[in-house]
Formats: sequence, C-alpha cells, structure tokens
Amino acid sequence: MRPVPTPQQEELRAAVRDLCSREVTVERLLVWEGASDASELALLESIAALGWLGLGVPVAAGGSGACLSDVAILVSECARGLVPRSIIGAVRGATALGVIAPKSSVLASLATGDNRLAMAVDEEEARVASSFSTTVEVEGGVPRVRGAKAYVPDAALSELHLVVARDGQGPVLALTEAGGPGVTIRELRTFGGDRQAHVRYDGAPVVERIEGGPAAFGRLQEVRQALALAEMVGGMDAVLDATVAYVQEREQFGQKIALFQAVRHQIADMGIRVTAARHLAWQAITRIDRRALCGHELASALAYTGRAFRDVCVTGHHLHGGAGFVVENRLRFHSERAQSLAIRYACEAPALEEIAGALLD
Amino acid sequence: MDYELSPREQAWREEVREFIGEHVDEALADETRQRGNEGRGPRAQLFLDALRDRGWWGLAWPEEYGGLGKTALEQWIFIDEIESAGAPMLPLTVTSVAPTIMRIGSQEQKRDWLPKIQAGEIEFALGYSEAEAGTDLASLKTRAELDGDEWVVNGAKMWNTMAHHATHNWLAVRTEPDARKHKGISMMIVPMDAPGVSVQPIWVWPGLRTNALFLDNVRVPRSYLIGERGMGFYYAAMALNFERLSIGSIGMARRHFRALVDEVRRRVVDGRPLREDPWVRERLARLQIEIDAAGMLGLETAWALDQGRVPAAESSMAKIYVSELSQRIADVGCEILGLNGQLHADEARALAGGRMQWLYRLSPMLAFGGGTNEVQRDIIGFMGFGLPRK
Repeated sequence: MRPVPTPQQEELRAAVRDLCSREVTVERLLVWEGASDASELALLESIAALGWLGLGVPVAAGGSGACLSDVAILVSECARGLVPRSIIGAVRGATALGVIAPKSSVLASLATGDNRLAMAVDEEEARVASSFSTTVEVEGGVPRVRGAKAYVPDAALSELHLVVARDGQGPVLALTEAGGPGVTIRELRTFGGDRQAHVRYDGAPVVERIEGGPAAFGRLQEVRQALALAEMVGGMDAVLDATVAYVQEREQFGQKIALFQAVRHQIADMGIRVTAARHLAWQAITRIDRRALCGHELASALAYTGRAFRDVCVTGHHLHGGAGFVVENRLRFHSERAQSLAIRYACEAPALEEIAGALLD
Repeated sequence: MDYELSPREQAWREEVREFIGEHVDEALADETRQRGNEGRGPRAQLFLDALRDRGWWGLAWPEEYGGLGKTALEQWIFIDEIESAGAPMLPLTVTSVAPTIMRIGSQEQKRDWLPKIQAGEIEFALGYSEAEAGTDLASLKTRAELDGDEWVVNGAKMWNTMAHHATHNWLAVRTEPDARKHKGISMMIVPMDAPGVSVQPIWVWPGLRTNALFLDNVRVPRSYLIGERGMGFYYAAMALNFERLSIGSIGMARRHFRALVDEVRRRVVDGRPLREDPWVRERLARLQIEIDAAGMLGLETAWALDQGRVPAAESSMAKIYVSELSQRIADVGCEILGLNGQLHADEARALAGGRMQWLYRLSPMLAFGGGTNEVQRDIIGFMGFGLPRK
C-alpha cells in the first residue's frame, strides 16, 4: 500500500502546477467563460507539445503509453489549477479512446491535438444505455448514426464525436465527424460556462466503429468516471487550500479568523471529507486502472466524492464570505464544476441503489 | 498510488481470520457484549490466553522484547478483524502500558515489569483523568511526594475503568508542584493492593462499569516512578499514540452495521420485505459509503505510522469519523427497527441482537472519550493544516 503519488507522479504534478500558475489567470478564466480565444488555443497547444494530451495514448499510436492512474494525476492537477474543461475533455477523449480502441486510426491526431474527441453519451430522456434511442444502422451500405444526444461537452469544439448508440445487439460505439453531413450542433448556455451542446445525428456516416459492444461501453464508462473522480479530487484540494489560506489572512474582531474555534473546526471537517474522498477516489481509480474493481467500491467513491466536493465548496464559500462570492474569485469556478461533475458522473441515486442492491438483494 | 495489501499483509489477514474462525463464536461475542468492561468472562479469558499462547500479545512489541514487530498496517488488520468479529481486544496493559515502559523505563524497570505483563500475571488500569482534569489533563491534582525511598500518593482519579480487576494502576501524578503544569507530572505504578487504595463503582449509561479511584497516603517504592520525573504528561501522550489505531478502528461499527443489514434482509413489515423500502435502502447505502470512507482514514493512519510519522491529524480524523458515524449507525438503526429498536439485548425478541439501542447509548462516549472531538478538530487544524494557535 502506498496511498500517495510516486516520485514521477509528483514531478508531473509539479509541472502542471507550474504551467497553471503561469497560464491560468483569473482574467483568462473570465474570458474563457464566454468563448475560446487565442490564449486557450495556445494553452491547448502547449499541453499538446508537452505530450500531455497523448499521455494515455498507446506509444504505437503516437502517445506516451502511460497508465490511467498517471493520466488521472494529470487531470486532477489540471482541475486543481482550473485548466479549461475543454482541454481536460481533450485529455479525457484521447485517453478513453486509447483504452477502448488502442488501434484506432484517429488516436495519433488526438495525441497531437490536431483533432479533439467529444463523447456523445447522454440523451435528454434516457439515463442508461438500455434506454438510449440513438441507433447505428447500415443504410445504402454505409453505417449511419441517427438520433439525438444531449449535453455533449465540447461538441462544437471537437472534430470527432464518439457516439454511444444502439443496434439490435446492444450498445455500439461509433466515431463520426462533427463537421460531416447529417450532424447539427446547438450550443447550450450552462451555468458553468462550459461548452455543452445538443447534437442531432441524421444519418451521419460512421467513420470508425469501435469493437467490443457492451464490454467496451462498460470500460468507457469506467474510464470516464475514473477521470471524473480525479477532477473532483483536484478541485476539492484547491478549495480546501484556498480556504485554509484565506482564514489565516482574514481578520475580524482584531484577530485572524483562523483563531476562532468555530472556524477552525469547519476547516477540520473539510479536511476530513477531502481526505476520505481522496482515498476512496484513488482506490477506485487505481483499481479501474488494474481492472480489479470489487463490488460496490466505484459507486461508493462516486457518491462520496461527488457529495463531498459540493459540501466542501459550500463550506469554502461560507468561510470566504463575500470575498469568495465575487466573480473574480476562483472558488466559484470550482463550485460550478463540482455541481456539473456530480450531475454528469456522480449522481447519488443510482450509486446508492447499486450499494443497497449489493447489501440487501 | 497503490491501495492493495501486499501478499504478506494478505497472508496475515488470512491467518488472523483463521484464528478467529477457530476461537470466536456467538457465545464469546455475547459474553463480551454482556460483560462489557465488567471484567472478563471465562470465554474471553480463554480467547486472550489463546492469543498470548500464539505470541500475539507482543504483536506490536519490538522483537528485542519478545514481540513480533508487526508493522502498523499489520496491527491495523489485526484490530479490524478482531473488532469486526466481536472478540475481546488485547488489554491496554499490553498495547499501551508495556510499549511505553519499553521506551522510557530503566533497564531494571523493564526487567521488573515486562516479563510479568507478558506472562499475564499483572494488569493495569489507566489512571489519567480526574474530576477537574479531563480534556485539560495537565491540570491534574493527584500528587506524589518523596518520603525517604517511597512516594506518598494522595488524590482521586475518575473513569478508572478496570480498576476493580486490575492488579496495578498506571497513574499520572503531580510530583513537581512548582513546575509549569505540563512539566510537573510523572508516571507511576501503584499496586491496587497497597494500603490506602480504594475503588468506588460508577455505572454509566450503556450499562458498563467504570470507577473512581481514591488514594489516601498510598506508599509505593521510589523505583515505581517510570521514566523521568516531570515527563509524565508527554508519556501519557506517548501511550495514547499507541492506541491511535484502535481508537480510529471501524471494525466495531461495521459489525453492528452488518447485524442491522442482516436483520433488514430478514424482516417483513406490512406484508412487504423491509429491504424493499426505498428509505431503508437509501439510509443503509449511505451508511455503507461512510463505513468505506472511515476505513480509508484508518488505513492512512496505519500507513503514516509505518513511514515513521506521528499521524496526529490523520488519527484525529479517523477518531472523529468513526465516533460520529457510530452515532449515526445507531440512530438510523433504531429508527429502521422501529419500536423493537428499544428492546434490551437480553430480550429474546430484540432484533439485530439489541445492538442498535446499545450502540445508541455507547456512541456518545466514543465522541468525548479518548480525547474529545473538539480537541481532535483543533489538532487537525494545528497539525494538519498549520493553522495558528495564537
């Protein structure tokens, strides 16, 4: 057992932190909320040049071939530093495809950042794959996607979409070109300022079909959830660090507010939640990496971490008071991500039901 | 990052489980619960003898003292398995007093006391708290004055659990009245059969017995002061460090939770299996997640100990989490069992062995005992996050 990063992983963390401290300023975060600009693209190019987009892509496909845990370290640190979610999404897309389709013809372009991959999974009226209505069917000798996907992150920014659809056998994973025929993208305005969109596929040609059916889809979900856990842990760490620093500088009634036991105890409770979440999350991530998940532990990690991130943000806001409420404060960016990540990856209800089923059925 | 037990640790867990399988049954668990700390029943004594015969009393002792020198993680595995099985835990004499003597005692003191502890011939009660010195232990007033070659001890101790069965008391006394309060305390061994020692029972809410200890001109040999004069406050803290793993163990809470889950699986209410009730399912799932989280905090404490650190913040986190989670398990458990949840464990119809109401009565003590949770939160603030004290 070694519940801390390896020296190599610490080096990676330090490098990401260094980059974030230089490139991810509050001024830029405010701009990136509205739209991509040259500085966001420059950051993407810098990260690509460092080899981080392709960190989890197999060496044969032009990547570094790092394990999922290493990519999770990268993602966690990017989340801590508030790297734009579109860039974290690019890492997620390349990594996920590298895991489920290590010989995919598009991997090399994802590793360099020439292409980005959006994952079109959720539907407005369906939460589980068995309810998805999007299909892949052969029409005129060409497999085509038909249906609608909802809340697709970075759909308009990405050149490729990985669509989770169905055929007569079950879940199917298909790559389509975002700019190809039959694809209509309508961008959404979300509270988190990220780039989600509703996408219609009206006979969009499949450029590559991912083999593996339900098993590949299951693995895709595990990888997405593992990286979401890493994002949540990174964000939580940032909120805790910022709050610990703030209570030591803010003075009221003639003293640092950290000297008030009521404040100190809230910091302690934040610390307990963050520590427990960190270990549950990394246990799940490392076991997903090794394909050694047991029982309900992923559900437990998702439910606990998703809730803890949101709770820690609420306490962070409380202890920051008005200072944390202004739009320029980094805290609210983390709070937005906390809710956004929980909704997409860490819904409590299904996780609780899975755990209850393991206990009682 | 790695959260897997090593092959050696897995083998150790299997060995402990095998031992438990051979020596623990429902009758022993019942006896342990019924007796509480009101002495040991015959089954518990047999179990502890078997542990000693196996050499496991010296689990955490260095090999030079005849111990096994197990790592903190291996100790954590042992504690977790024993508590989860409902078996009696190793006495504090073995897990707290003896390791302290090993570190601070003179060669003569080690020679005098350790073999007797190892042989099970003597057992200590821990005499720290007083009526006016609980959380603020350094304010204790029980004093010892040197008279020739003997100490003369006067004062009173509270919460002196096991004093009515112990052969000796491991006593914190003020020997340097003119020194600052933290620097004026020494650790001393007082035989319970010494003239002037008396014990008065105190019965507490869960039905357990603890004691008040009175010391009236009790004379003990000069050599019974262990370690250096004036260092007792720090030795008490050291002894507490040896208890960090057990104080933050989730094993007991997990056992009670398991009993609750088993009961829910069997119960039918209003013609419908209780396990189908959405409220019950949600509550149990939430508790299971929290048990998972608490287990991780305990593991981290053990790992940090093995790195040579004193994991003050980590163990405080585990202590807070387990104690407050135990309260929630009991609370939810009583509510799920409904009116039956009030029944005493001796009632044949009591569901889940009557454990929920017992835990409900016990669990407040887990939060204020062993260092109140307020102090633990302060420790996390100071030691974990470097918050200022002044």
